[in-house]
Amino acid sequence: FRFKDSLAEDLWSADLVISHAGAGSCLETLEKGKPLIVVINEKLMNNHQLELAKQLHRDGHVLCCNCSTLVETLQSMDLSTLKPFPPGQPEKFALFLDKVVGFQ
Amino acid sequence: TGGHTTEILRLLSCLSESYSPRHYIFADSDEMSEAKIRSFEQKRSETFSNSQFTLDRIPRSREVRQSWTSSVVTTLYSILYSLPLTYKLKPDLILCNGPGTCVPVCISALLLGLLGVKRAIIVYVESICRVETLSLSGKILYYFSDYFIVQWPDLKEKYPKSVYLGRIV
Repeated sequence: FRFKDSLAEDLWSADLVISHAGAGSCLETLEKGKPLIVVINEKLMNNHQLELAKQLHRDGHVLCCNCSTLVETLQSMDLSTLKPFPPGQPEKFALFLDKVVGFQ
Repeated sequence: TGGHTTEILRLLSCLSESYSPRHYIFADSDEMSEAKIRSFEQKRSETFSNSQFTLDRIPRSREVRQSWTSSVVTTLYSILYSLPLTYKLKPDLILCNGPGTCVPVCISALLLGLLGVKRAIIVYVESICRVETLSLSGKILYYFSDYFIVQWPDLKEKYPKSVYLGRIV
């Protein structure tokens, strides 16, 4: 398919996700606890989009490769090395904002 | 737009009902945000009975990779448009997370503050996608916001006046 409003269903039933480095795709996949291989195409991407993919890779949450190394990555990957991705904490933001505006 | 809307709704998810009424401002070219916002507010109204919110659209200030000179023109136009809107809403607090759309609104709020009409607190949260560099909106509003929040430690180091709370979306 070319476009769906929500990938949530597909993500829940997947065992492995292979994705481009878009932030939404990466974060949505990691939040559902699915192993993720990010395929980086430096020619197509804004420099800043790479930032998140690189950081996630550094932190051990995703595997990275490019189009030409994808097959090799799939053959040699060890998904057990991937670290779980803890959820963000909007509660911390709420606490901070409450102090800022004076609600306490 | 898209990812920004999702992020900002997550930021709002833990806020108490004291943060009411909520006025959402987004780009006129944005088709998906309205549905996301309504869905968020719908769920919220199931817990908090007196939930109030409004939706307003303004012209998009800048398309991705739009040229510098034409960006200045379109942004000025957006400012002219958002000034009366901001004056009408007179917000106490402005929360934004980086789409170009937020810049004219913040500039309008700053102007209204300078003129003594209404002083809003401007809180800017840089997108989670920004790990090493700030967005253009971020670079501008770093100097004009009251609180500038980043979500990765590298940015806290580069921008010492920023606030780092870890990942909050």
